[in-house]
Amino acid sequence: MSIMQYNGGSVIAMVGKDCVAIASDLRLGVQSLSIATNFQKIFPVTDRLYLGLPGLASDVATLHERFRLLTNMYTIKEEREIEPETFAQLVSSTLYEKRFGPYFIEPVVAGMQKTPSGGYKPFIAATDLIGCLNFAKDFVVAGTASEKLFGVAEGLWEPDLEAEDLFETISQTLLNAVDRDAFSGWGAVVHVITKDKVVTRKLKGRMD
Amino acid sequence: MSGSYDRALTVFSPDGHLFQVEYASEAVRRGTCAVGVRGKDVVVLGVEKKSVLQLQDPRTVRKVVMLDDHICLAFAGLTADGRVLIDRARVECQSHRLTVEDPVTVEYITRHIATIQQKYTQSGGVRPFGIATLIVGFDPHDTKPKLYQTEPGGIYSEWKANAIGRSSKTVREFLEKNHKDDLSRDDAIKLTVKSLLEVVQTGAKNIEISVMESYGKITSLELSQIEAIVQEIEREKEAEAERKRSRLAATAANQAAMTQRVDPPTQ
Amino acid sequence: MEVSFGITGKGYVLVAADTTAAHSVIKVKNDVDKIIELNPHLLMAYSGEPGDTVQFAEYVERNIRLYQIRNSLPLRPPSAASWVRKTLAQSLRSRSPYSVNLLLGGYDTSDYTPHLYWLDYLGTLVEVPFAAHGYGSYFALSLLDRYHDPEASLEEGIETLKRCIAEISKRLVVSPERFKVKVVDKDGVREIEL
Repeated sequence: MSIMQYNGGSVIAMVGKDCVAIASDLRLGVQSLSIATNFQKIFPVTDRLYLGLPGLASDVATLHERFRLLTNMYTIKEEREIEPETFAQLVSSTLYEKRFGPYFIEPVVAGMQKTPSGGYKPFIAATDLIGCLNFAKDFVVAGTASEKLFGVAEGLWEPDLEAEDLFETISQTLLNAVDRDAFSGWGAVVHVITKDKVVTRKLKGRMD
Repeated sequence: MSGSYDRALTVFSPDGHLFQVEYASEAVRRGTCAVGVRGKDVVVLGVEKKSVLQLQDPRTVRKVVMLDDHICLAFAGLTADGRVLIDRARVECQSHRLTVEDPVTVEYITRHIATIQQKYTQSGGVRPFGIATLIVGFDPHDTKPKLYQTEPGGIYSEWKANAIGRSSKTVREFLEKNHKDDLSRDDAIKLTVKSLLEVVQTGAKNIEISVMESYGKITSLELSQIEAIVQEIEREKEAEAERKRSRLAATAANQAAMTQRVDPPTQ
Repeated sequence: MEVSFGITGKGYVLVAADTTAAHSVIKVKNDVDKIIELNPHLLMAYSGEPGDTVQFAEYVERNIRLYQIRNSLPLRPPSAASWVRKTLAQSLRSRSPYSVNLLLGGYDTSDYTPHLYWLDYLGTLVEVPFAAHGYGSYFALSLLDRYHDPEASLEEGIETLKRCIAEISKRLVVSPERFKVKVVDKDGVREIEL
């Protein structure tokens, strides 16, 4: 059993039409024993940017604290909030810094990126535990249910989904994938990010 | 070139003085006055409190601080230096408990503080701490109150009663005249206030008193309590002056009577 | 076979830990207190590698005390939990990590809420309504899924705790015979005789 599977948990992010969604389960376990059903793995970075941290629970907390520090310092020094693409690079370099003794986390970044014309475009990215970036146009997955998430997302996702439809798609993808994974589940949380608001919903799912 | 070798600031003068240490002592002499008085089973710390500015929060200006459950410290001199030294002492108190499972003795923490102060007179690139401290408390499993003093050079010594800071010489001389062994709680507090009044003209509102009665029992006197003590002292002084006046008047009257009795035959 | 439980209820946290000190298959002592009082409204049950446990618990105790003396204010339970987690997480990637698992129970005197935290030696931290460490967790957690009530009175909480202890006495091959139980609520920490 790998350390990546020790606490369980999964995250997925999807692109829609002028919106992105990021969702995760809420389980925290020790191998097959569930300890908590309220474990947060997705954290807000700015009003339009969220970060998902599936992997070893200790590093979830450590990296959350670390990225909070780094983005706060960035905001103070640059006098503006960090953009999703910049933040993805920051995540990548922070993880690669520990190339030979890594954090056991596969981060997922989802947000709305400012364009030069003043609009916003959806942005999602994921990295492996040493910071190799994967910019996807459709969806990214990570965590113990990642194989299942790939399968379901491949079937359900389509381009240019409106916010409400994207919510339905990401929710169904996550719930159905984690039902086939013993290490993920116990309810889920979904954030749908548009240029001017974020809608957060909690899902019950199979509570067994 | 005075590059990397000549870092020492505290160096001997030709006649054997360490000027930096003496300047530090001068900073202490210019600091507000602090008094410590040991009684039979009580020890009192009194400090002259600079009146806080109108918009300042008085709770953030403290000159008597707790180092551990059973030890208090008052200092005179540069407040900024005091803060740093106090923090070092607090860490040592907890560290000592962690390593030997016992609280520090008053002598131990005094020696620790004095050692730090001494190090800053003999290391490169640093200046001495511009503070003197009075450390009071009770040793664990002991009922005897303790009072120690440290100085910028790293000297430490034990006292029955002592003063540091502005006009400390006057206060110490006053204490030498008036201190008795085995003072009760009230008498010790009174002596502390009385000695501070020697140099604090503004009275109760610029005096802060902390009383330690036994291991871990520390109380700070309220302004009203200090005011009451100051009034009592003033009444006593008044009564004393009154007695003196009437005694003087009596002697004068006696003398007058005697001269009168002598006078008639000459007339 | 160390076992510890924590249960929250209406305005309190109950924490119980076994009292055995074992050396391989030998019970060396059966009156060990494995629940340390960190400040008047905070307690911590510890288990794990003998030696590490007490050393770490006392280290935490002294640092929490130092914080209180420096700031004239105690550390609130969420902040204390964060500090302990950070310490364990740093220790995990050091040359000699502490092998200590903890339950942190506290009562927040500023917003009158009880808090229970589950921490392990990896630096995992999660706030939970009930928690357990050791082999007892396999029985107690499922039992608490059924019987735990966050609005339960102290008496009801103690009854639930007794159920947990009865269950592990029945099902665990080597079950501890005695438990020390402590509660923290608005009045502070106190021990409870079962």
